Amino acid sequence: MTEKGKPMNISPTEAEETLAAIQKISQKTRHAIASSGTFITLIATGVVWLIGFTCTQFLTGDILGYIWTGLSILGGILGTFLGFRMAPRVHNPSASATAKRAGIFWLLLILYGIATILIVRPTDGKQATMLIILFIMIGQLSMGLLVSFSSVWWALPITGLALIGYFLLPGIFYLWMAILGGGGMIAFGLYIHSRW
Amino acid sequence: MAALNETIHQPVRLRIMAALVTLDAGNEVDFTYLRDLLEVTDGNLGAHLRKLEEAGYIAVNKIFVERKPHTYVSATVEGRRVFQEHVAALESILKSK
Repeated sequence: MTEKGKPMNISPTEAEETLAAIQKISQKTRHAIASSGTFITLIATGVVWLIGFTCTQFLTGDILGYIWTGLSILGGILGTFLGFRMAPRVHNPSASATAKRAGIFWLLLILYGIATILIVRPTDGKQATMLIILFIMIGQLSMGLLVSFSSVWWALPITGLALIGYFLLPGIFYLWMAILGGGGMIAFGLYIHSRW
Repeated sequence: MAALNETIHQPVRLRIMAALVTLDAGNEVDFTYLRDLLEVTDGNLGAHLRKLEEAGYIAVNKIFVERKPHTYVSATVEGRRVFQEHVAALESILKSK
């Protein structure tokens, strides 16, 4: 009905054009939001994994600890920066309460992860890495299920890839995680940027 | 059969609603971000937002972020419902072609 109460009639051609306009702006919105942060976060995490796991495959000793510490700090700074950059654009009124709970959740998950590693006492670096990956992916899945479904599905294939590498390809586990885990995240980030 | 909604059918308002319903429910978008996305002027966007707000299809939230005033816009539950109805009406017109 029109604002004046008269029925509104349009031609099928106009309806088609209107639907195309709706689809175009929906795609543009999705792309704008994805371009704002998600794809950069995925690419940054992917690069951290790619460099970190490649180094773990080929290097030994204390330097690995420094590399992972440096990469983790860099990833944390980048994530915080992008979070603040995104905040003024798309906003969720209940986000501050959710963010506080999410922070507590991740802190508890880290403590539980440390406790598990201390109890299980992994025999090698691969076991410890696999446990850490599993805890991170559990956290990612939980956040996705509770906050937004968008981050749920990519955590599952990453977990699957990690398990395949751990059980079937133990000799090249770190390289596997670097190329398929890190590379996969980079490829997915680029895909989001170009296709959404 | 779903009916067309003239308030929403206006081209700029249609694009505003299409952008807002694309956001996850509960999320709001910054006024300037929406203006740049839709490539419209401040005045034009403001006028159409008022129309949609009067109809109850959008909610306008003015808050301070880091001591700066920000205007956020979101689609209401009613806005999402009538927009989906409008899209369904357009699709049924297209099918009857």
